Amino acid sequence: MKLAFVTPRYGRDVMGGAEAAARQLATHLSAAGRWSVEVFTTCALDHITWEDVLSPGDSVDEGVTVHRFASAAGRSPAFYELDARIRVAPRQAEVALARRWVELNGPVAPALVDAVAASDADVLAFYPYLYYPTVMGMAAARAPAVLHPAAHDEPALYLRVYDPVFEGADAICYHTAAERRLLQRVHRVGQVPQIVLGLGVAEVAAGGRPGGEVAGVGDHPYVVSVGRVDEHKGSAMLAAFFGTYKERHPGPLKLVMVGPVAATIAPHDDIVLTGAVDEADKWDLVRDATVAISPSAMESFSLVVLEAWEQSVPVMVNALCEPTRDHCRHSGGGLWFGSYPEFEVVLERLCADDTLRRTLARRGHAYVQRYFQWPRLIERYSRFLTSVCERPRRGGVEVPVRSR
Amino acid sequence: MVHAAEDHADEDHAANAGTDARTVEDDYVEQVRREIAEEVQRRAATDLPPRLERELDEMFMRHSPLGSGGTGLTDILRHVDAAVFIDPMVPVESRRPGGVAVKRGLRSLTFWYQRFVTHQVSTFAAAVGRALHVVDAQLTGVRARLDALAPPPSVVIEASWAHRLDAWWVGTVLEELAGTARAATSGGAGRVLHAACGDGWLVRALLERGVDAYGVDPRPRALTDEEADALDLREEGVADHLEAVDPGSLAAVVLSGVVEGAPLGDRHRLLVRAARAVGPGGVLVVHSLSRAAWEADDAPLQADLVPARPYRPATWGTVLGEEGLTVTVDEAADGRDYLVRARRRPTPGA
Repeated sequence: MKLAFVTPRYGRDVMGGAEAAARQLATHLSAAGRWSVEVFTTCALDHITWEDVLSPGDSVDEGVTVHRFASAAGRSPAFYELDARIRVAPRQAEVALARRWVELNGPVAPALVDAVAASDADVLAFYPYLYYPTVMGMAAARAPAVLHPAAHDEPALYLRVYDPVFEGADAICYHTAAERRLLQRVHRVGQVPQIVLGLGVAEVAAGGRPGGEVAGVGDHPYVVSVGRVDEHKGSAMLAAFFGTYKERHPGPLKLVMVGPVAATIAPHDDIVLTGAVDEADKWDLVRDATVAISPSAMESFSLVVLEAWEQSVPVMVNALCEPTRDHCRHSGGGLWFGSYPEFEVVLERLCADDTLRRTLARRGHAYVQRYFQWPRLIERYSRFLTSVCERPRRGGVEVPVRSR
Repeated sequence: MVHAAEDHADEDHAANAGTDARTVEDDYVEQVRREIAEEVQRRAATDLPPRLERELDEMFMRHSPLGSGGTGLTDILRHVDAAVFIDPMVPVESRRPGGVAVKRGLRSLTFWYQRFVTHQVSTFAAAVGRALHVVDAQLTGVRARLDALAPPPSVVIEASWAHRLDAWWVGTVLEELAGTARAATSGGAGRVLHAACGDGWLVRALLERGVDAYGVDPRPRALTDEEADALDLREEGVADHLEAVDPGSLAAVVLSGVVEGAPLGDRHRLLVRAARAVGPGGVLVVHSLSRAAWEADDAPLQADLVPARPYRPATWGTVLGEEGLTVTVDEAADGRDYLVRARRRPTPGA
């Protein structure tokens, strides 16, 4: 059986996000041996510009055949003005305007869509919902289409241009039950065959160096936040909260922010920005942290939370992020904050209470072991795909976007 | 502060954390969360400077999900309170040489004006804030009274003698749905929904007959993920699920143990949603206990807790007839339960 993923970016150098999740799923599924896996993607690595930086053509990445196509257009400068207009009331935005929004957001890749239409795959997996390759590719697909929305509660989700994408999918694969609840609040997708799968946590590949040494903070205790340092990911908010916390709680505690920096963070003696680090350093940094903090309110899964638990580190998450809060509630492995005062009380408590930290860490670890191991997830996903192939196709997706 | 549950929790216990029945550790973590909430409340009259608190609140909310909006009016009012004070002290930081001195001079020269204007704006904002607090208090009171008046939530009525494969009504349903789904599949709307699906007994039987079926049940399920995946069983409220179903997209909806457990208002909304989920030529099947079973000594426990009785069989023609369905009712020989089949007319020419 052959499965083809359709995703706007693909490769080892794609950091975080839905596209990295797609690669993990593709790689593990291919390694399991029962599915021949290929990918249709663009030559871009950057999700802001969609600039073609890789060569078009075919290649093999960890057993997965990758077909890359150049984009006719990346993100247009005109996107931002339109985005600002429609994000105020996205549900009320006219479909034609929303179509335009999808095109301006990019990457516009008609050749990719043509290849999807001509694919001989038994089933196509589109990941995530947001971009042109999914919106156009699902309309063009002849094989059953599984949609991995990777959705969070953002204005784009409410655009009517996505109604046929969600409702016309042959099946939907969610990261979390919270994502399913969100989708079902916004779109009528209850009748679509579906599964809540999530992602697996990679085996710990620590380098063996003390995390404090990697971060350059020596023996100082530290809290860690892993992921792109980005305004939209709550990084600036976390830095401001932590700076305020330190003013009110002088001491040796540091904040180490690990990941490529895409936001301006005011310099602070107790905040360290490591930039992008390799996997070994990342695991070392997380392992020795007092607490791992996920400040983002816009996650559909949050692998970094599970990776912290894999290393038995308790977590703090943004209370407005339903998926990460659900992880904490179901596992009993973390706490959440919905304001600065709450952030302060939770961090105070976690830093002062060894027993609480150990209890949360143990419960988080058990949760990851039980639900988020790749072999089990791949087995479930494989069965799900088989069932999709065996089921008659649903109505399909009506063309919501005109190619230009 | 609570004492740790750690001493009581062995490793086996931990391995099951968060997944099985409530544990000592569950209670411990819950207690910690309560203590944190209490401590946050205690610090509500925070000693943070108002401007700083407002800035931090704004940063927190800037990239919040659309649907969040905090956890209620009281929460949002906290943000309003933090924003009430308008600071007349304009910042004077500057990256340009002499910029700080220039800005400081301008601020001194205009401070009387800034203070006059900001004082009036702050006074107005405080008055609006107070008014909103009064509204919040009154709404809280109204909500409390409504909560007291509201009927208990819908429950699933478990009747093991009726919700099983060899019950008298099930064979009829399986046969009818197999035909309905086959006919509907050719038109693209072939799925059958069973609620409340329990362990998937009816969904499994439908799948074995080639019917594409799935199930929802609001009760915590005792199945593994793999078992639930195989049958597409979901832990969801039935009414909520039907709200998320595209109208006319299903070949059939089977409700068993659901309708008689719903208070009257909820029951009507549930039936309207279920009827509208069924496409042309499709069927809504309702299995219900009868009033006789409801009043019997061996009636399900929930019979005493639901503030409504089952409809009489004759009532269904009226209720579902209004939704454009043609209704047939079959009663059990012993009068304990009955089966309603309500069919939507096929599209003319289909």
